[in-house]
Amino acid sequence: MSGSAMSTATTSPGGATAPPLNLPAPGARERRRLSPAFGLAAPGTLFVVLALMGPLALMFRYSLNRFVPGQMMVEAVTLANYQKFFADSYYQEVLATTLWVSALSTLLCLLAGFPVAYFLVRQASDKWKGRLLLLVILPLLMGNAVRTAAWMVILGDKGLFNAFVGAVGLLPVKLMYTPTAVVIGLVSVLLPFMIVTLQSVIEGIDANLEAAASSLGASHLTTLWRVVLPLALPGILAGTMLCFILCMNAYATPVLIGGPSFQMMAPAVYQQVAKAMNWPFGAALAFVLMAVTLVLTTTANILVQRRYRRWSE
Amino acid sequence: MSDVILQSIVKRYDATTAVDNVSLTIRQGELVALLGPSGCGKTTTLRMVGGFIPVTEGRILVGGRDLTALPPNKRNMGFGFQNYALFPHMSVGENVAFGLQMRKLPKADIAAKVKTALDRVKLSHLADRLPKQLSGGQQQRVALARALVIEPDVLLLDEPLSNLDAQLRNEMKLEIRNIQQQLGITTIFVTHDQDEALSVADRVVLMRAGRIEQMGAPDDLFERPASHFVAEFMGVTNLLAGTLESVGRFRLKSGEVVAVPVAGLSGDLALALRPERVILDGTDEALLANTLSAEVEFATYRGLVIDYRVRLPSGVTLIARRPSPAVGGPAPLSPGRAVRVSWQPEAGTLVPV
Repeated sequence: MSGSAMSTATTSPGGATAPPLNLPAPGARERRRLSPAFGLAAPGTLFVVLALMGPLALMFRYSLNRFVPGQMMVEAVTLANYQKFFADSYYQEVLATTLWVSALSTLLCLLAGFPVAYFLVRQASDKWKGRLLLLVILPLLMGNAVRTAAWMVILGDKGLFNAFVGAVGLLPVKLMYTPTAVVIGLVSVLLPFMIVTLQSVIEGIDANLEAAASSLGASHLTTLWRVVLPLALPGILAGTMLCFILCMNAYATPVLIGGPSFQMMAPAVYQQVAKAMNWPFGAALAFVLMAVTLVLTTTANILVQRRYRRWSE
Repeated sequence: MSDVILQSIVKRYDATTAVDNVSLTIRQGELVALLGPSGCGKTTTLRMVGGFIPVTEGRILVGGRDLTALPPNKRNMGFGFQNYALFPHMSVGENVAFGLQMRKLPKADIAAKVKTALDRVKLSHLADRLPKQLSGGQQQRVALARALVIEPDVLLLDEPLSNLDAQLRNEMKLEIRNIQQQLGITTIFVTHDQDEALSVADRVVLMRAGRIEQMGAPDDLFERPASHFVAEFMGVTNLLAGTLESVGRFRLKSGEVVAVPVAGLSGDLALALRPERVILDGTDEALLANTLSAEVEFATYRGLVIDYRVRLPSGVTLIARRPSPAVGGPAPLSPGRAVRVSWQPEAGTLVPV
């Protein structure tokens, strides 16, 4: 605990005066120490700037161009593509679908992932923790498309699920090419990310805190609610954002499991760019998607940070 | 009222036995120190009393009530953790209020009790601080206030002083003892530090490899160790193996025969002799019964005292402790110097090996 370091730095044991906080002063020494780290970070930073910002800038420029059928892209500076998005209710519906499917999938990931992560950290023995964690990550070793194809086999009208339902004597359920199927597919893809993120944060919560709450009279549920969840908030935020962003940009799952009538944003972008050859509108769609994702995740971040900052720094 | 009774407590993990048949009765208001080296089972025992570790065999009774199967939140015990385990996201006041909130007390009562509890540890002015803004000693006092505010039947403290520096440790030791006596609360205090156990406890229970090696008043363990292990743990540095030759005559393995107090023991024994009782170049007649010639091997300067390691002709070494010149002791002896080593027969204690 930082307490031992603090005790030497603070004032009288009575503590009548406010003990000064033991924060590192932003002195010249700190700044000098920064430079080797910066040197190490430079190649990576440079790569990110070139490989990420470059195409992004290019796409943004495209989104301001004009699309003329037959001529494809024509140099221009116009907001027409963005106006088209806001004028066409079809694309707004696509965005709405993307949002609710992402929100629901993320929520389900959180609800399903937290108990697993908590169990891994607190209940599993060291021997089993590694094995179970590997099991959690295992689906990620499989290609996205392969995994999704497997879901098609399971969820199809004559798939494994309906075979089971039929065997039990119930009527078959239409799952394939429904939003439900897409959500199932997305949760299965994203759950490992959520579990691994939460696991690392819960690992950092001192088990004695839960013991302390218990000795003070708190039940398991109260301890979870008043001690574990607030302390896991940074992990919950990180996992939620990670899942939500991946959902918003999901391509293979909505295309393969959602079918042709189910539209989400990422496939719509692809549709415009690769099928309609409408690069300017595709680029505009991509930027709308990015902006919405960015605004939502940043807002969530700020809201959570505001509660969390008081004691985290 | 709240006597704590441990009945043949056993804790087994797969192949190892962490706590092996520990029975102990702690009277209402008594402070018992569980003392021992790391891995002796003292913390496991404490955690079993607190309900954090299930008991493999045996029963735990408090005030006649069997608590063995109850979870911690149904035991009404205050627990002080080695690392304090303060909730980092709650202020000092919220930390102390937590247990009262769990008991669903009215808000006004909670505020009043929190105030009283923080006053008791002299921290009411820091109620709005977060734990990380406090020093180690202050955090410890908050932890104590939090454990005591729920008016527990028993207070359990796990190495409460081990994370504090020496000066603060002394201060906290007195404070804990003081509060414990004021409230008359039955307390179990786990420590690996014999000095801490001796100065704070009514009774000391020395554990070794999951069993109770010896229990008794502090002076019992310190002055009348019942075994080689206890003597060693209580800071006796000279333990000379040998056998009784006749009543009051003890033959060391190395051959010397020395005078010892009369004891009803036999077989392989060890003579336990505190370094403070070993006198170098003494002139007192009473010492003549045990006087051997030796050579100073080396000296360790320790501030108030100097420890000399001396070697007898047979090769046996002894530690002799003398006041250093800083406190008016004799001039230091240099290594290689021939000395007479002596001690009064009653200074030694015979213990089974």
